[in-house]
Amino acid sequence: MMSRFLPAVLLCSVLLAPAAADPLGKVLDQENQDNGVSRKALPGVDDLTYLRRVTIDLIGRIPTAEEISEYESLAPSTRQQKTVERLLADERFADRWTIFFADMLRLRSNAEGGGASIAFIHRAVRDGMGWDEMSRRMIAASGKAGATPELGYILGDNADPMALAGSTAQVFLGVRVACAQCHDHPFDVWKRKDFYGLAAYFGKTRRVQSQFTNTVYTTEADQTTVLWPPEGVEDGAERKPMVPAFPFELDKADRPSRPIARLRALRQKQAQLAAAKTKSNQKGDAGLEALLAAAGTKADRRSSGKKTDDLGVANEAKRDAKKLKIAQARYRASKLRADLAAMITNPRNRLFAQSFVNRVWGELMGRGFVEPVDNFSQENRASHPRTMDFLADEFIAGGFELKGLVRTIVNSTPYRRQHAVGVEDPVRIELESAFLSTPMRRMMSEVLYDSVVTAGHLFDVKHEKGKNLKVVWSRSRVAKRPAEGSEAAVKPQLLADATSRKVMKKPRLKKGKGGSPYDVEQAIELDFDALLAESKQDGVKIERMQVMSKEEIEAMRMQQQAANNRPDVEYFDRFIRSVFDDNPRFSTSMRMASPAAPEHFLRIFGQPSRATLDEKRDHTPSMRQALMLLNGRLTHEASRVGELEPIHKLLTGDTPRLEAAIRLAYREILTRNPTATEIAEAREVISGAGSPLNGMADLRWVILNSNEFRFLP
Amino acid sequence: MAMSCNDYRLTRRRMLATTGASMLGMSVQQLLAAQGSSHAATAEHVILFWNGGGMTHLDTWDPKPGRPTQGEFEPIETSAQGVQISEIFPQLAKQMHHCAVVRSIAGTQGAHGQATYNLQTSYRQTANIRHPGFGSVVVHERDRMGDLPGYISISGRAPRAHYLGQKCEAYFVANPGDKDPYLAFPEGIGQVRGNKRLDVLARFNRRFNAGSGDKKLASNQTAVKEAVKLMRSPALKAFELDKVPTTTINRYGDTAFGRGALLAKRLVETGVRFVQINRGGFDTHSNNFPAMQNHGDVMDPALASLVEDLAETGMLKKTMVIMLSEFGRTPRINPNAGRDHWPNVFSGFMAGGGIKGGTVVGSSDKDGMEPDKRPVPVADLHASFCHALGIDPNREVQTPLGRPMKLVDNGNPVSELFG
Repeated sequence: MMSRFLPAVLLCSVLLAPAAADPLGKVLDQENQDNGVSRKALPGVDDLTYLRRVTIDLIGRIPTAEEISEYESLAPSTRQQKTVERLLADERFADRWTIFFADMLRLRSNAEGGGASIAFIHRAVRDGMGWDEMSRRMIAASGKAGATPELGYILGDNADPMALAGSTAQVFLGVRVACAQCHDHPFDVWKRKDFYGLAAYFGKTRRVQSQFTNTVYTTEADQTTVLWPPEGVEDGAERKPMVPAFPFELDKADRPSRPIARLRALRQKQAQLAAAKTKSNQKGDAGLEALLAAAGTKADRRSSGKKTDDLGVANEAKRDAKKLKIAQARYRASKLRADLAAMITNPRNRLFAQSFVNRVWGELMGRGFVEPVDNFSQENRASHPRTMDFLADEFIAGGFELKGLVRTIVNSTPYRRQHAVGVEDPVRIELESAFLSTPMRRMMSEVLYDSVVTAGHLFDVKHEKGKNLKVVWSRSRVAKRPAEGSEAAVKPQLLADATSRKVMKKPRLKKGKGGSPYDVEQAIELDFDALLAESKQDGVKIERMQVMSKEEIEAMRMQQQAANNRPDVEYFDRFIRSVFDDNPRFSTSMRMASPAAPEHFLRIFGQPSRATLDEKRDHTPSMRQALMLLNGRLTHEASRVGELEPIHKLLTGDTPRLEAAIRLAYREILTRNPTATEIAEAREVISGAGSPLNGMADLRWVILNSNEFRFLP
Repeated sequence: MAMSCNDYRLTRRRMLATTGASMLGMSVQQLLAAQGSSHAATAEHVILFWNGGGMTHLDTWDPKPGRPTQGEFEPIETSAQGVQISEIFPQLAKQMHHCAVVRSIAGTQGAHGQATYNLQTSYRQTANIRHPGFGSVVVHERDRMGDLPGYISISGRAPRAHYLGQKCEAYFVANPGDKDPYLAFPEGIGQVRGNKRLDVLARFNRRFNAGSGDKKLASNQTAVKEAVKLMRSPALKAFELDKVPTTTINRYGDTAFGRGALLAKRLVETGVRFVQINRGGFDTHSNNFPAMQNHGDVMDPALASLVEDLAETGMLKKTMVIMLSEFGRTPRINPNAGRDHWPNVFSGFMAGGGIKGGTVVGSSDKDGMEPDKRPVPVADLHASFCHALGIDPNREVQTPLGRPMKLVDNGNPVSELFG
């Protein structure tokens, strides 16, 4: 069935006609012309290449064969735009771009409140919350780790004012001021006093860790810790509280394209809509009422269980109300940081919008207007300031919305351009720096992982039940004769205590699997909904539990183990045979707890540890990466042909339809149709392999390991 | 805003030009010579045992007989005259003439994370930058020998390379002796079939790379070539412990630690520069003494056999064996018969690679509370290791932000450690 319509598809895959007028492309072309760029822009990529590129960029995996067919069935003139809309609406768009934010903000799911913050970002991206709103919430957040999901940013730097001054300028404004912490900036305008003025906004914030519960929260003290002059500058000088001062200039007037006026109009419209909605709902939002309603739910839950206790429920509601007050007193909000957040996200603060559009442009184009993307400076000016400002204006006017920005870029001509092939390096660099061609970009680690899973049909089982039975022998140490009465069995109590405490701190995971040498290729999903649901629970709940450090637990575990090996008991090895159906499934790596362990696939392929400001995704190849793809389980399982895969039918039976299978493999893995030479070559590979199924596995293994697969077209 | 400090009146370009000249124009040796610190290396390899959790100094390297802080162990005489260590190391005691102990490490960090960071990198942890672990520094400065990776971490994670880059990351071995699945074709793919796949892959990539001409693609191909070279290397035999006689395994102790020590020995013999063996369980807030007895039972045969074997083959001359932990433990014994965190003074163990055998550097006071003689800052330990390896600890490398960072945080080699 597949093979019958494929030749027709080949004919459809024509070069894309020059795109309809796009304002972004026009601004860029004009700016290039004014810059005296003489080289000509490369043409756009063909239809299928565009599909692969934009699918990878927007939802973080290659398109499936079904998506390719669906795309081809759309009218050529509108299929690209329609696809962009489909991808923007896909839940995976939020998955993919949450990684972008988590890298930038250095959110770590194993850090205090980090998991909840990642979940917060995911929901914000999904629901189209503006970057200004997201930023304000994160910069001004105060509360308890996890319960206040936005808090992860502040806690990521342990609420340290100096660290937060450096990271806030760099992350939200693309300006590196951290050097000015210790001395006036060596090659920029930043003075030490500017840095201290910025740090002073964070000076009253305190990170508090409850001694009893180990829970972490932030609150505001009356005194600031940021004093001027800095320690050791003047001997004996009295150090006074530093007055907060915002060191960045704000635009006085709106710009010619009136982004601020347009934003105001948009906000008014949004407010009207929201007001209308509230009216129709007609529900009070008093904290107490909401709590009483919640108490009602609790009562319902109880009545289905053991006992009904109306009085108890009412008391509980009162208690909850009291907790709300305690919470407000305990997690004092930060007026200073709210002020700072308002200034940072002010539409008149050009750097806020400029630095963000520069990052997104860099992510999609492989190169920012300013490089490195977080180093805006007088010494490091933008290559195309007008194009960047055009994007910034549209971004502001559109309510700082990521999806709108991404839509503008991926629908533009510059995004569609081909790579420069077969030219000398200087020419390529010239073309790429003027955005006249697109640079080769390697898939980032999560995208590579998910793309292998997609190509190999591994999101679901692909083998029939019982077709992959494997026998495993495991060794266990057994006591020959139980010790005579005396000390009875070794008490597992200590260990149980230790581990049950540990469980309290474990991240919420959907499922886990352990103990295999291939663990470094597993993706264990975080449950974002559960993480956010937890944040809705009351904020002052105190787990009366002393939490042990993991080092202490390890010490107890080892003691337990040593105690189990008792000299008075004889042991022998028992071998246990077990059979299991090895029918693997892989989850998406996009929602995995991140950053992954250092030896995990994702880290090996460049996921950053999100620990420091100067760490970027590493796209350089390494031997470890090669070993992992050549010999790893993921590529191996993706290559093997399962009975439930469409390609299986083409390869089995009396007359295998090899050519159709080869075409399908190319479409599934490389999103394109093979050339005649490639078909001939693939036939040779398959026929030399003993069986068509093995031969196809070999072919797929090769393509999955190839450079063409790994680099965006 | 005007710049106020003349020293910083440098443009970025000029800055890069000046630093670039010193980095590119001169070789490391020239730089070393220029700074007067060039000397021949006495060590070519390092085996670092990392004891996570904070190992008690009082029950290991720094016994306090007759003091209330002594605890349950007695000191024993060793083959090094006048040097006593805890009775939990009866076999190692016979090798102490090869070994040195520093009893006056003056730590500053009392929390596991910060202290581990400090001991493994020589730097204090700050928010703005992450420093590379010592193993990464070594492989950054010393060339790889042979086919195996230069830096291997066993039974746990080594610190990351951070600004020193991918090439200085540790190769990770989960369980010593277990087959590493990534060093051979996947299950069910024989040599012939696997090699055929590699041939086809090389052809595919050649064609694709030629069509593009982008250098990024070529370096990807180099990584594949390196991987295949490693897969086919006879040096991989070093990883296989199943052919090692049982008597040898038993001599080191049939434990993960014993096998780790044995593997480390085989790896340095094959040319690996730096092996780190990780083990935890030293955070003995309760029941310190039975726990330390168990640790002794595990560590003693392995350490003693390793030092003995390396000495016998002559490898000890150029292999530095180090055992460190993030801090020591409180001299006061708490109500749970445990000891708590104690960074003020603690001990470290070293042998080989130019380290003078039978040495004790520094001392703690009579109860092991504070350094008494010759406090040794953490960075001085790192500077000493660098000294043995012929690495200039003050050499600067550039971080991605263009910030110069010394390899070691301003340490001075401890001269008493060397002959």
